[in-house]
Amino acid sequence: MTIRRSVTRVWAVFKARNLEYLRDRASFGWNLVFPILIVLALAVVFSGPPTGIFSITYLGAHDARPALLDFPGVDTVDATETTRALDRLARQQTDMVIAVAEGEVRYWINGYSAAGALTEQLLKFSESRPLISGRTEGDGIRYIDWVIPGILGMNMMYSALWGVGYVVVRYRQAGYLKRLKATPLTKFEFLSAQVMSRLMVTLSASTIVFVGTNVVLDYKMVGSIWLLVLIALIGALSMITMGLAIASRTESKEFADGLLNALTFPMLLLSEVWFSLEGSPDWVQWIAATLPLTHMLDAARAVMLDDAGLLEIAPNLAVLLGFCVVGMGLSTRLFKW
Amino acid sequence: MVEIPILALNSVSKQYDDVLAVNALSFQILEGQCFGLLGPNGAGKTTTLEMIEGMTPPSSGAIHYRGGPVPSDYQDRIGIQFQATALQDFLTPFDNLKLFSAFYDHPLPMQTLVDAFQLKDFLHRDTRRLSGGQRQRLLLALALVHDPEIVFLDEPTTGLDPRSRRDVWDVVQRLKAEGRTLVLTTHYMEEAEVLCDDLIILSHGAILRHGSPTALLAEAGVETLDALFLSLTGERLDAPEAAV
Repeated sequence: MTIRRSVTRVWAVFKARNLEYLRDRASFGWNLVFPILIVLALAVVFSGPPTGIFSITYLGAHDARPALLDFPGVDTVDATETTRALDRLARQQTDMVIAVAEGEVRYWINGYSAAGALTEQLLKFSESRPLISGRTEGDGIRYIDWVIPGILGMNMMYSALWGVGYVVVRYRQAGYLKRLKATPLTKFEFLSAQVMSRLMVTLSASTIVFVGTNVVLDYKMVGSIWLLVLIALIGALSMITMGLAIASRTESKEFADGLLNALTFPMLLLSEVWFSLEGSPDWVQWIAATLPLTHMLDAARAVMLDDAGLLEIAPNLAVLLGFCVVGMGLSTRLFKW
Repeated sequence: MVEIPILALNSVSKQYDDVLAVNALSFQILEGQCFGLLGPNGAGKTTTLEMIEGMTPPSSGAIHYRGGPVPSDYQDRIGIQFQATALQDFLTPFDNLKLFSAFYDHPLPMQTLVDAFQLKDFLHRDTRRLSGGQRQRLLLALALVHDPEIVFLDEPTTGLDPRSRRDVWDVVQRLKAEGRTLVLTTHYMEEAEVLCDDLIILSHGAILRHGSPTALLAEAGVETLDALFLSLTGERLDAPEAAV
């Protein structure tokens, strides 16, 4: 009886919130149109012919750098992990990987890449030290393939955090939460309804954008769609519960704005939405690893670009689930009507 | 046999940091009564009301319901109309009635509420586009959606034009006629004289006078409650921000 009453109340609040969202045509439209506009703009900017500059990833000491890296037209990315560098090579995000250790120059190129073959010739021509060659294989990915998960993730982040955090603070400031407190509705029921409603909105909007942009851009998606749905579900949930935690006591929309910006800005910058952090200092990568969006995008790119399985993305999902548990726990504990 | 009051306050106080908002109030409300809390802005009316509603815990003292502690299902037994209540944007009175009905086990039929509060003409209009009077009627309907024993009305006619105020009075009179217990705050003296069976006049969180409007006027030998308040404090009761 109690559970049935509880479910009825959650369902009523869920429906009311959805109605509010769907009738707010400006917000609803913007949530759909904005990411599509970004993707289309990027498609226009980045779908042209290659720029002709070689990109070489280098692992080694600065004073042992091959002369090739100083050639005009060669961009160098400094890296520390051979595995990640070779992953980039397999995706043709770099044309060659060079590692120098103990006087030995090892290099790898992608057998499918013409740019790789050219840089190999340039290296042989310019390098006097003995060379050890290696090869990887893999189709290249366009920037648009790499950035699509970032844009979808960014959109989900904004929708989840602002759609819940800002709205709950607005309800509180207007006195609506106080009115709800005077009913048998419990905090947990109210919060659950908000989570469910925002989850449905975020996933629906992301699905429309995902399908719509795929039709237009035909971006790379080689992994399991169900794994991607799972990542989106847990990732969105982790950020919705964080939004709720922020809104649990905040009474001012301006303060909520500040808090939400403080949370979203580092993710926008450090979670590899627009560019890879490879080659950045360790402390930057360490901070990035503490952000939920980083784990969501890592997992999404692994599935979409490398056909990763559940086991490979399990650590990312575990971190995201941790954020969900902490966020919901904090929200329920701290929430003030 | 002594009638057990439906609500009783025993030396109830509320302290906010260094401000004593309500100071050791004791009074009783009988079933079926319309009980008024009168006083200028800042007198402690809303704080007192919120403590009786269970929205704010008292700093000291006790509140009793029918002679015992306040029951766990108290929220099911009371209906509240707050002084300033926002509703969800983009929802209509119909949506709001459905939403609030879902919170209770035995809500009144929608049609009963629509008829009782004359909501039909604007039932499907965005609540942001309702007039002050229409909005108050909707808020009253929401407070009554579960047919509560006690209804709390916090300044139900503040900011309304005279006609809308009369409409709200009609609704309150009808609720009284049904035998429902009403507790209302107001700083309109005429309203208290028309609607209340019993009232307290508050100033700076304390009771200045307690009694029926008729008895209070007769005792003081004045014509209006406003004159009574003026003689007690030197302030006009309906003066805005008359007290802190």
